[in-house]
Amino acid sequence: MGLREYVIRRSIYMFLLIVAVVCFNFFLFRLPTFVFGVSPVDLMISDELKRNLTRDALQQLYERFGLVPDPDIFDWIYMFWRYIVNMFTGNFGISFVSQKPVMDEIMARLPNTLLLMGTSSIVSIILGIWTGVKVAADPGSRKDVSAVTVALFIYALPIFWLGMMLLMIFAFYIPAATNDIISFPLSGTIDYQVWVEAKNDPLGTLIIAGNIMHHLVLPMIALGVGGYGGYFLYMRNNLIDVMTEDYILTARAKGLDENQVLYKHGLKNAMLPMVTIIAMTFGFLINGATLTETVFNWYGLGRYIFDSLVILDYPVVQAIFMIIAITAILANFIADLLYGVLDPRIKYG
Amino acid sequence: MVVHEHGGLIVSDSRKGGWKDSNWYVSLSGFWREYRKHKIGILGILVLGFYVGMALGAPILATHDPSPTAKVAPSFLAPSWMSIFDPTGVTTGEYMPDPLLNNAEANTIVKTGSKSDEFSGVHYTDSDGEGYVNLTWDHSPGEMDWRLLDPSGQMPDTLSFIYFKQNIPWSFNKLPSDVNMTLELSVTMTGDFATREEGGLMFKVYMWLIDSSGNWQRIYRSFPPYNEEFQSRRIDLNYFDMAAGWGGMITDESGNQEDPLDELTVAVGLAPTDNFRNYLGSNPENEYEGSVTVTFARVSMLVYGNYFGILGSTDKGADAWSQLVYGAQVSLTIGVVATALSTAVGVVVGLIAGYFGGKVDEMLMRVVDFLLVIPSLPLMMVLAAFLGQAQETIIVVIAILGWTGTSRLIRSQVMAEKNKAYVESARAIGASDTYIIFRHVLPNVTPILFANITLGVVGAILAESGLSFLGLTDPSKPSWGRMLADAQGTGGFSAGAWWVVVFPGMMITILSLAFTFVGHTLDQVLNPRLRER
Repeated sequence: MGLREYVIRRSIYMFLLIVAVVCFNFFLFRLPTFVFGVSPVDLMISDELKRNLTRDALQQLYERFGLVPDPDIFDWIYMFWRYIVNMFTGNFGISFVSQKPVMDEIMARLPNTLLLMGTSSIVSIILGIWTGVKVAADPGSRKDVSAVTVALFIYALPIFWLGMMLLMIFAFYIPAATNDIISFPLSGTIDYQVWVEAKNDPLGTLIIAGNIMHHLVLPMIALGVGGYGGYFLYMRNNLIDVMTEDYILTARAKGLDENQVLYKHGLKNAMLPMVTIIAMTFGFLINGATLTETVFNWYGLGRYIFDSLVILDYPVVQAIFMIIAITAILANFIADLLYGVLDPRIKYG
Repeated sequence: MVVHEHGGLIVSDSRKGGWKDSNWYVSLSGFWREYRKHKIGILGILVLGFYVGMALGAPILATHDPSPTAKVAPSFLAPSWMSIFDPTGVTTGEYMPDPLLNNAEANTIVKTGSKSDEFSGVHYTDSDGEGYVNLTWDHSPGEMDWRLLDPSGQMPDTLSFIYFKQNIPWSFNKLPSDVNMTLELSVTMTGDFATREEGGLMFKVYMWLIDSSGNWQRIYRSFPPYNEEFQSRRIDLNYFDMAAGWGGMITDESGNQEDPLDELTVAVGLAPTDNFRNYLGSNPENEYEGSVTVTFARVSMLVYGNYFGILGSTDKGADAWSQLVYGAQVSLTIGVVATALSTAVGVVVGLIAGYFGGKVDEMLMRVVDFLLVIPSLPLMMVLAAFLGQAQETIIVVIAILGWTGTSRLIRSQVMAEKNKAYVESARAIGASDTYIIFRHVLPNVTPILFANITLGVVGAILAESGLSFLGLTDPSKPSWGRMLADAQGTGGFSAGAWWVVVFPGMMITILSLAFTFVGHTLDQVLNPRLRER
């Protein structure tokens, strides 16, 4: 089977997976209705409002949010059909709470999430690969053991707690000790005051960027450290594995010096699985980091999905969930292809 | 020279290939010999033992009610051992010199006003040796001397009343963080006070704090109905009461002290009220004939200091140490049970998929693929929010997403094992599929499972702490994630309370680190690809 056929097969498979996720999503977010009989209408419109509104006004409200009071089986089929159509046409409905289109709400938060997740992922990937290669040259050495111990420690560390500790130290105790000379913001993405002032400033963009960077530092460190352990261990184990292959032995036998063997022959091969992992990472970027965003009060998707879940604003949760899953599927697909393209030894099948 | 053995299990070099040799229980002692070479593995086991002890001994170790909402102290009190750094800090305790009123000399009885002959007071000891103070007001028709103007509103309505007092020396230079007073009293009424319906409205029992400058702060006044049985009243002083009572005794930055003495007086008294002058148009003072006797059995004052318990108190005033100890139970239970559940499912799915292959394999692996692309934390959040907060629900929610990795691992191992000669021969002599799977294949893939299980526990513990941090678990159960959520939600460290942030997170980290260490060591010992010879 050639590459072409492989791509087609994977594409069909990917499409089926997306359909499965879409269907799963529909039933997942109607669980409260199925299990507890809580109608979204009840969440949306209080009894008092129901009594006070005219029949026509109520009908309009229902239509606006796509709700059906007391649905029977045909209503469910109709709702499911409309849901499928909406999902594939990118119409995610209106938020129960803000009354704005869900897509607008998501788009407002997406850049923040991508900024936070992107920078922290890049930091942890670079650090992970770099230190992984450094210690893999000499497994079992003191350096290796201590680096692995640190990585295991990070693996065991709850990242939201790391975030809280960073906040406590760098946004509370150090500012208090240094009279605010060194200080980091306690929460948020940007200071409202700065934003208002910078709007009329010719250099406003720079000031805003600086302010956002200032807010970004602590959550980025927390997430960067959190991701580092995994990349490091993966890189190290891969490389150690590769270094036992026969072609490495051949390279050594040729009389190449150890550095050349490590970087030219070892690293190149060990990077292959790493590339797919990185591709996957970028698929999950949009996922956000609910816990870290909650700790730092970061205005991003991760916190938004949780906040919406708590107030049962389920058009929002459903839409974000959907987008996350589809991005993950696409990233998986791309990672698969990439692996095939990069490694000529892979047989498609 | 690094040599790796492939696809096999822990076996000695000379005896390789036979399935019996690689059974983990056969080579248990060999395994232990290998394991104990790894220091971090030993450390991990020791720490785990410590945590298990903590979880099992929680009822003994906990000093207070572990419920996060059980208020046992003021909010955000520092751990007791921190008082070393602060010698002027107030220590928690009973501060009344004679709370049970056993000592006649400690209780001074004072009468005031021109009609003070209507009042009498006495300290006495009953046959059991318990002391009481009796305050009596015996009224015969006639006018009382009324207080005409009392802007502070702290004093009774008449100038004539009776009280008894105790003095409390206060050597600290700080306000208490909270004060609870308990008053035990019985009231006996005779004459018109007893017969008339409104008799109970004619007098009140008061309690005051009197500082050494002579300022009175009323902290309690009684309301009917009264009872001849002893009843106790609990009085929780508010900030203004404490500031009025103790504030003057604190030296300010320039070295001044408002009150001359470091001494506070607590007075408990009985006085007529304004109703006695004019009650709905009548004048009870000119009509009433009778007496009121109030007997006090106890006046105690529990002062909360600036320090509390082993690890201080939380935002809700609960004991942090007790929650921390019980949190070990929650984390260990959820971590172990959820992993056991997900491992069981993963092993069964992996065995079936790997052993039978074909359509079954295809179907199961598609389910696994599906679960792997679903974002895990959001899904857990959604399920936990929809299905409820019970511990069992959380376990199931964590397990639902935890089995996919295990099943893939087992499947690949089984696929490697199933074509080996020993399986063939077992099949040839007529062994059933179930027998081959559980007797031959499973024991051979078991070792690789152990590292997977311990690392799975870490994932489950972290998932649980994350879910409880988001407030999706049972709010009445103490758990480390929940403690951190409370600390975060109420601005724990902004209040300077670092101990509510540091310790719960440390417990999570150390526990999962111990599991990680054990898992990593198992991986090193059991996974030959990583082992060095």
